[in-house]
Amino acid sequence: MQTTQPTRRTLLGGAVAVAATATAGLALDAALAVPAAAAPVAASDLVSADPIAHLLRRATYGPTPAALAEAAKLGVAGWLDRQLNPSAIADAQVDALLTRLPLANAGIAAVRAKLPKNSYDGFGQLGRATIARAIWSNRQLFETTAAFWANHLHIAAPSSGIWDSRPDYDATVIRKFAFGRFADMLKASARHPAMLTYLDNRHSTKALPNENYARELMELHTVGMIYSEADVKAAARLLTGLTVGSTGLYSYSAAKHATGAVSILGFTHANATAEGGEAAALAFLDHLATHPATAERIATKLCVRFVADEAPATLVARLAQVYLDNGTAIAPVLRALFTSPEFAASAGRKVRTPYEDLVATVRALGLGPETSGVAALDALYNSLVNAGNAPFRWAPPNGYPDVAAAWASPSAFLMRCNSHLNLATGWYPKQLTRPADMLKALVPVLPATYGALVDALALRLVGAKLPAEHVAAVLSVAGKLPTSPVTAGTALTGNVPYLIALVLDSPSFQLR
Amino acid sequence: MTTTACGCDEIKTLTRRGVLGRGLAAGAVGALAGLAGEGLSTRLAFASEGYTGDTLVVLSLRGGFDGLSAIAPIGDPDYYRARPTIALPKSQVIGGDAMFGLHPALAPLLPMWKNGNLAAVHAVGQPNPTRSHFAAMGEMERAAAGTSVRTGWLDRMLGLTGATGPLAGVSLGAAMPSRLLAGPATDVSMATVDGFTMAGDSAKRPMAAALRKMYATAPELLAGPALAADSALTATASLRASAYTPANGAAYPKTALGAALRDVARLIKADAGLAAAAVDCGDWDMHEGLGTAVQGQRMYDNLYETATALAAFAADLGPSGMAGVTLVTVSEFGRRVAENASRGVDHGHGNAMLVMGGGVRGGAVYADWPGLSAGALVDGDLAATTDYRAVIGEILQKRCGFGSLAEVFPGVVPASLGLAAAR
Repeated sequence: MQTTQPTRRTLLGGAVAVAATATAGLALDAALAVPAAAAPVAASDLVSADPIAHLLRRATYGPTPAALAEAAKLGVAGWLDRQLNPSAIADAQVDALLTRLPLANAGIAAVRAKLPKNSYDGFGQLGRATIARAIWSNRQLFETTAAFWANHLHIAAPSSGIWDSRPDYDATVIRKFAFGRFADMLKASARHPAMLTYLDNRHSTKALPNENYARELMELHTVGMIYSEADVKAAARLLTGLTVGSTGLYSYSAAKHATGAVSILGFTHANATAEGGEAAALAFLDHLATHPATAERIATKLCVRFVADEAPATLVARLAQVYLDNGTAIAPVLRALFTSPEFAASAGRKVRTPYEDLVATVRALGLGPETSGVAALDALYNSLVNAGNAPFRWAPPNGYPDVAAAWASPSAFLMRCNSHLNLATGWYPKQLTRPADMLKALVPVLPATYGALVDALALRLVGAKLPAEHVAAVLSVAGKLPTSPVTAGTALTGNVPYLIALVLDSPSFQLR
Repeated sequence: MTTTACGCDEIKTLTRRGVLGRGLAAGAVGALAGLAGEGLSTRLAFASEGYTGDTLVVLSLRGGFDGLSAIAPIGDPDYYRARPTIALPKSQVIGGDAMFGLHPALAPLLPMWKNGNLAAVHAVGQPNPTRSHFAAMGEMERAAAGTSVRTGWLDRMLGLTGATGPLAGVSLGAAMPSRLLAGPATDVSMATVDGFTMAGDSAKRPMAAALRKMYATAPELLAGPALAADSALTATASLRASAYTPANGAAYPKTALGAALRDVARLIKADAGLAAAAVDCGDWDMHEGLGTAVQGQRMYDNLYETATALAAFAADLGPSGMAGVTLVTVSEFGRRVAENASRGVDHGHGNAMLVMGGGVRGGAVYADWPGLSAGALVDGDLAATTDYRAVIGEILQKRCGFGSLAEVFPGVVPASLGLAAAR
């Protein structure tokens, strides 16, 4: 795999070179103290091999004791059945919280009635609601799948001209069809004001077609880089007329539509009349949705999301066939993915993005929503803005990258660590509901030694013990050894938030 | 390559004359190089690590920069035919020559242009044109068409400089790593220098030391960023200890680019061992509403903000600092010659680059201008007569001490535009 960061060898080599110049005051001596023979721990050894834990690390935003207990009772197939029917899963806590964010999924007319033009409030509420659902919704597979589709048919928020329509796009395109048929989601996106604005099709005319949407529709939303420039031009002409009316709602304008026969990636249409232009465009979208190249691309992206950064070719081929055999229905594809041997063999092969890390941290610590207001959600959102990974904020239309190398950054590492300590201590945000005694909530029975305490914390927060050398590293912050006895008191109370933070900082917690 | 329809030979002569006129000025700037760094109080200890070339700053203009607006071919009548509503009128040009006019939003950079520290190169592009943002950006950063190379070109450049300090290669302005720096050479991404901190770390609670121990045996992909963060934390601690005040009254705009360039200047002035820096500046994808050259229009406003940030950067470093810095702008592609129905332009090909620095022979537009007549266009786009890598290659040879470019830009012959003085 291509990494974007220095290998340990080059880092240490650099340190040696610096030290050799005898420049005073460089605190790289500690890096030099690392034994040259220290071998990396394999990622697969850092996570629990239990199939239920593996499933929940991938299909949810992070295991919790309650989720693990439920999934263990239902089994993999039973858990998938339950999660694929989200309306049957009660979600009262999230429903109540979302009443504080009434614009998060409001319709276009409602947003226009409530907000001044170009207000960012709709974007802001949508982003916060998305974080809230990721953390606290019981419909976890629905939330991870909806996030996948939102990133696939990505529309940046904020971005210009969609202040009124972006929340509606999330509700009526992404969430409505997240477990439905991709062909339906694609056609809904093509007729949504947010997409038509974001990719400029609303201003495309028969005299001067705008190619932006036509190109990204093929390159990003469906078949990938197999199109020609002639295909772009033909598709741009075919899509003319799909526009937005004065009320901000979708409309089809026959006057803007360019007629004339088209032939695009195996799709041919006479496109003879302006009145028939919309139907011709929808037929093209159905063609694209059911194109084998689209099936392979979506299968590949689902594998990268849920299985491994390098999608297993055998699984991609099978999922693409399931997708086509089921008329682009997504639920059968998810079922096939999560019950595949390739998935089972992939433990430890995905790294949490900054967003997933933050959400999983709140879930692991058992922090609850604030009792009123949204100050904590504001804080969580803003910390993700700083990390470059807040919901929907990726500016270009290709969506956030979904591989570890793209996020393997020193800054991002520090931000993860800082969030872990802030949340473990309750320094920031302060408003989240916390267990009265965090240590007792995580480790009900106090172990006899510090080594056993870190083991217990890791089992609870990560799902597996840390390797012995990592336990020792965690304990070094408190000046303790694994054999040091634990006694209740202020010293322990002072140490615990740092121990929790370091367990969350460990390589083990970065994996999902 | 050249056409007679627009009198290009004459134009080339004009631009060459402009270049020669700058020779003296460039020499004077070179004489200032010996003063670099004098009078700076915050100094780090990485200065002498074997690399003595310019700090190369690569500013990526994301989305497809419209070079035909920024450096407008006002001497080419086809330009005005292709863009009836958004072409830059000759009356609004603030600098340049008979063929190329500077957009008025570049006014903050006009002093640099006149001093000869800013040049433009036109009709540049990639060898394998694509109108896909993502394919074009990926290839622009890899810069090794036709090979199996997977690293970023700035990483390869860095690896060859011999600069190995923790801050030798830095991307600033975002937490995400720059793909330009993807590869084995040491590099660090920082959203900001001041925000690059570890919460809770103290003598009593040595968090950083604990993490250093833990990541010594982490899987390689996870260990790299963690250990690079650790080294960079140490290396930048003294910078954060005092607030940064830009020199010479430099006023950075309160934009992401302004903040990022301010931090680049801070690292340069601190002698932090910075050999290569990557900074992004987005929102150039103006399919719609690129507009006329007045305030409130997209191109004007974006260009003005960019020019303001670059001018502040140059002012902050001053002539002595700029003597050791070359900044180049790159963009994945230029935009279509003809405007669309939305007063914008779709994806195109040939483009303009800006090159700024003490060693630049500026005040001129370097171009092998192919013209904008129907026969000269490539599928409606400005032809690229100069490979952008050849332009950077010339800078690497003149300013960064490079001989062969084979490892940085495989198969590329450096340009001999004469746009930079030998260091």
